[in-house]
Amino acid sequence: MNFLRGVMGGQQSAGPQPSGAETIQKLCDRAATSTLIDDRRDAVRALKSLSKKYRYEVGSQALEILLNVLQTDRSDSEIIGFALDTLYNIVSNEAEEAAECEDENPQVSDDLGVHFSELFLKQQENITLLLSVLEEFDFHVRWPGVKLLTTLLKQQGPQVQQIVLVSPMGVSRLMDLLDDSREVIRNDGLLLLQQLTKSNAAIQKIVAFENAFERLLDINAEEGNSDGGIVVEDCLLLLQNLLKYNNSNQNFFKEGSYIKRMKPWFEVGDDNSGWSAQKVTNLHLMLQLVRVLVSPVNPPGATSSCQKSMFQCGLLQQLCIILMATGVPADILTETINTVSEVIRGSQVNQDYFASVNAPSNPPRPAIVVLLMSMVNERQPFVLRCAVLYCFQCFLYKNQKGQGEIVSTLLPSTIDATSLSAGQLLCGGLFSTDSLSNWCAAVALAHALLDNFTQKEQLLRVQLATSIGNPPVSLLQQCTNILSQGDKINRRGSKVQTRVGLLMLLCTWLTNCPIAVTHFLHNAANVPFLTAQISENLGEEEQLVQGLCALLLGICIYYNDNSLENATKEKLKQLIEKRIGKENFIEKLGFITKHEYYSKAAQKPQPIFSSPDHMMFDHEFTKLVKELEVVITKAIYKSSEEDKKEEEVKKSLEQHDNIISRYKSVIREQDLQLEELKQTVTTFQTKNEQNQTIISQQQAQIQQHKDQYNLLKVQLGKDSQHHNVHTSNAQMNGIQSEEVLRLREEIEELQKQQESLRGELSDKDSLIESLKQTQLDSQTVQVTGVSEPNAEYKKELEALRSQLHVQSAEINRLQAERTELLQKIEGKASDSGSSGLSTLSTNTEWEEKIATLLQEIASLKGELKAASEEGSSLRQQLDTAQSTAAILQDEKLQLHQDISESKKEQDDLLVLLADQDQKIFGLKKKLKELGQLVEEEEDDDDLESGDDEDEDEEDEGGREGEN
Amino acid sequence: MAYAYLFKYIIIGDTGVGKSCLLLQFTDKRFQPVHDLTIGVEFGARMITIDGKQIKLQIWDTAGQESFRSITRSYYRGAAGALLVYDITRRDTFNHLTTWLEDARQHSNSNMVIMLIANKSDLESRREVKKEEGEAFAREHGLVFMETSAKTASNVEEAFINTAKEIYEKIQEGVFDINNETPIPWIPSELQWRPVTARSSDLRQLQTGDSCEANGIKIGPQHSTPGSPGSHLGGQQAGGGCC
Repeated sequence: MNFLRGVMGGQQSAGPQPSGAETIQKLCDRAATSTLIDDRRDAVRALKSLSKKYRYEVGSQALEILLNVLQTDRSDSEIIGFALDTLYNIVSNEAEEAAECEDENPQVSDDLGVHFSELFLKQQENITLLLSVLEEFDFHVRWPGVKLLTTLLKQQGPQVQQIVLVSPMGVSRLMDLLDDSREVIRNDGLLLLQQLTKSNAAIQKIVAFENAFERLLDINAEEGNSDGGIVVEDCLLLLQNLLKYNNSNQNFFKEGSYIKRMKPWFEVGDDNSGWSAQKVTNLHLMLQLVRVLVSPVNPPGATSSCQKSMFQCGLLQQLCIILMATGVPADILTETINTVSEVIRGSQVNQDYFASVNAPSNPPRPAIVVLLMSMVNERQPFVLRCAVLYCFQCFLYKNQKGQGEIVSTLLPSTIDATSLSAGQLLCGGLFSTDSLSNWCAAVALAHALLDNFTQKEQLLRVQLATSIGNPPVSLLQQCTNILSQGDKINRRGSKVQTRVGLLMLLCTWLTNCPIAVTHFLHNAANVPFLTAQISENLGEEEQLVQGLCALLLGICIYYNDNSLENATKEKLKQLIEKRIGKENFIEKLGFITKHEYYSKAAQKPQPIFSSPDHMMFDHEFTKLVKELEVVITKAIYKSSEEDKKEEEVKKSLEQHDNIISRYKSVIREQDLQLEELKQTVTTFQTKNEQNQTIISQQQAQIQQHKDQYNLLKVQLGKDSQHHNVHTSNAQMNGIQSEEVLRLREEIEELQKQQESLRGELSDKDSLIESLKQTQLDSQTVQVTGVSEPNAEYKKELEALRSQLHVQSAEINRLQAERTELLQKIEGKASDSGSSGLSTLSTNTEWEEKIATLLQEIASLKGELKAASEEGSSLRQQLDTAQSTAAILQDEKLQLHQDISESKKEQDDLLVLLADQDQKIFGLKKKLKELGQLVEEEEDDDDLESGDDEDEDEEDEGGREGEN
Repeated sequence: MAYAYLFKYIIIGDTGVGKSCLLLQFTDKRFQPVHDLTIGVEFGARMITIDGKQIKLQIWDTAGQESFRSITRSYYRGAAGALLVYDITRRDTFNHLTTWLEDARQHSNSNMVIMLIANKSDLESRREVKKEEGEAFAREHGLVFMETSAKTASNVEEAFINTAKEIYEKIQEGVFDINNETPIPWIPSELQWRPVTARSSDLRQLQTGDSCEANGIKIGPQHSTPGSPGSHLGGQQAGGGCC
């Protein structure tokens, strides 16, 4: 127990105080060798308390022992906690700094932390061990564990990252810290993940895979987005780590539709109250996150798809609201402008939307105009003015439509005197007495001309009214005037800045536009001014202006179309050689790219300058210089002979061009013809197709007809068979025709009789004739005596005649009868066979029979009538019966409905009852929890009675249904 | 885009078997003949329709090289489906399947649907692994099998969609408990520690009626699962109103 006194009671003992190192040595021994867990725990606890004051001693002596404890005493969370705390104190520099340390400078303590971290990392298993310790749920273990790992990551980032990366589930387990219910651990987990994800794409991807975006956005939303505290800030920093320069994660962020979850971040409202420092910081980070997704350095496809979804989800619109809101702190406003800039950059839809945004002023002004007003306003902060310039540049980037709109506000035909336009503001800035405004306006205008030949030509038309009485001056002229007379005007800021701005505008304007070059050279004062500037031996400050003048002169040579006699390519080159010297000219030209501001501006599209004096170069202009420097140098070094050769080549090329153009016109004509022919062919083809369709239709019709015909044929065949059947049927009724035959025979007999009668008649006639002759003979013999027998004869003749008449009448009658019979036989051959048979014998019989038949028919008809009358009466009865049945059916349906309704009601009531039941149960539980006694039986009774009622109702419904 | 479910996939298998090509064919409908080594993992996404429901597939294409193995292991746990790919013209890629499968089974959640993909079926003349062998392996290990060609796009759609169908069926059957995180399968046997099961974030998400995710499956925001506290609360409120 001697050493115990040394540790615990060391202060009280009168003896010499043991040194810190000794005490620590003793504690270490105890922690390492003691068999009792309590002893070991006490020792580690003591080490912990000493670890701040005697950091070096504890670190150098106890590190191994503490790591051992972590491994062997996992079951005791308390000792693990102490060990982790001690380790944290050893490794961390913060604790050291927090504690007083007068004699040690921070450099030494830094080294100490790094030193112990290295020792800790010597064994890779130590990190694995620490990771597994972090699984312990106990707060006193997990918290120091998280802090220790964070510190190790801070000091030995890449090494720890590699170990975590290869240990299975390493990152996943650290991600779980975000779900810890104890806020302290969750928040420190955020700090740990920040360190873990620093510049390690593989870990960033795994963290994103483990739903980091979802969780972080959730935490942000819970904490109140921009109104939240430092936790929000930490989340945003982590998000930034995950997304910045990580295209895969950006893609995942976009594909996971997380962009739309950024929109609520910017719903900050118009209230001026809440702009705490934390809120400003948060919003700053939020805006930066948006910019990370649409940064100009990202792959173009990725940026454009993010821009698209930012417009679709209304994020851009929300940002524009902040842009036009009042009371927004200047730095937030600046960053918002920068963000909007990059959201619209190069995206036609977003640029069009931005052009349509109006400020909520009276009268409403376009946002572009309002922004430009701030750009040319000296009282606005410098960064804000830069941001507006960037915004304007982004608005015009790859936006020919926007460029046209801006330039058109300067043209005489479309100028609107009543309201302030973008063009007016730019001109105002160009010629104001503030050099910064000059520069910004010049660059802005240059962006309206970039890669746009039409607008370069259009801008030549712009005329300016300088002062009353003087004739208007062209914009180009005014620019060169200011350039040459710059020294006369008193300006704020640097003169160089103004001149650089104007020279950049002129260079952009004249590039690739021979007409503008001609306009520029038309003013005889310009070239001498440029040569004078270049040839002068001026201070370092002026070198930049000299370089730009050389560039402008070079452009005048390279893009010269030799339309001016006094200033052809050749003449200008001679001038350079005489006045400046080729070498000198090239050297001066080289000043531009050698300038330190040049390389800075060339890096990023955004204009960022540490001070207004450094504002010299525009990003797009640096690209232009890079292209032009080469071609101008070539053009200058080319000898006149080469030039002539080139001219000749050009001429021959022109001739070729002429030939080609002739051929082209021929081809064009042929093309037109071809086109016409093609059209006719297509019309023919369509016609042909139509015809073919018609033909095919007709063919189909024909086929149909054929089919029908065939079908009919077949049917006909069948029909004829049917016909045969009919005839055979007729033969089946053969009795009739037999009768007819018999009748015919009889008729023939009658005819024979008639013949014989006729024969008799003719005999008698001949007899009468002979008698008449004998009478005449006798008359002539006995004229008088024969008169009496003559009368007798006459009488006899009369009798014979009458007899003849009767007989002939009978014959006639018989003939009539015969024809009648024949007709009847033919007419009623099928119908009245048997009746006809009887009629043959005698007429009367026939007639009688018909009459009787007719009578019979009549009587039958009468019977039929009576029967049908009976039927109709029966039908009426049936109808009445049916209607009654229908009524009954309706009643039945209604009753069915009634039943179903009542069933539904019953179901509803049952559901209600179940809900209530649950509720009651819950309430009962609560009551029980509250310690109240519950009278269960009563409740049950109530419920049952309720049930009974329901059943009653149902029964009633059922009965109604039955009724 | 609104979706009913979101599934996370991983594609694993030896280097050069055509994992990235399968993904490219599925997401972009094109084929890139030049082998470009995947570094770590690459991400791709596409929307599909199953049973009339929109399902979003988030697919992580992993590097097949051995040196990336430890990194790619980190993606197993969070995935609902895995495409295990081999090359029918290289027998060694088929021989390595067992190792891959062991690795996947060890680090993933137990319900992960694994589909065995025999790629490059267009190179019939150079075939080294018979279709029957693949089928037999799949049968033996309880995998779904399919021969594909990322070049001709044959069966590529089917491979991804059938995997999704399988997962979808498992959800319908209730095999996937999508509202509760299962305990982390990796439990060091020699150590004693409490697994983190109940996740505060899950509870929170359910309360707000928002989406929730587990086992590489996420329910869309408009989808509310039956029995979640939100709907239960709604029912009670309705009942109260009636009384």
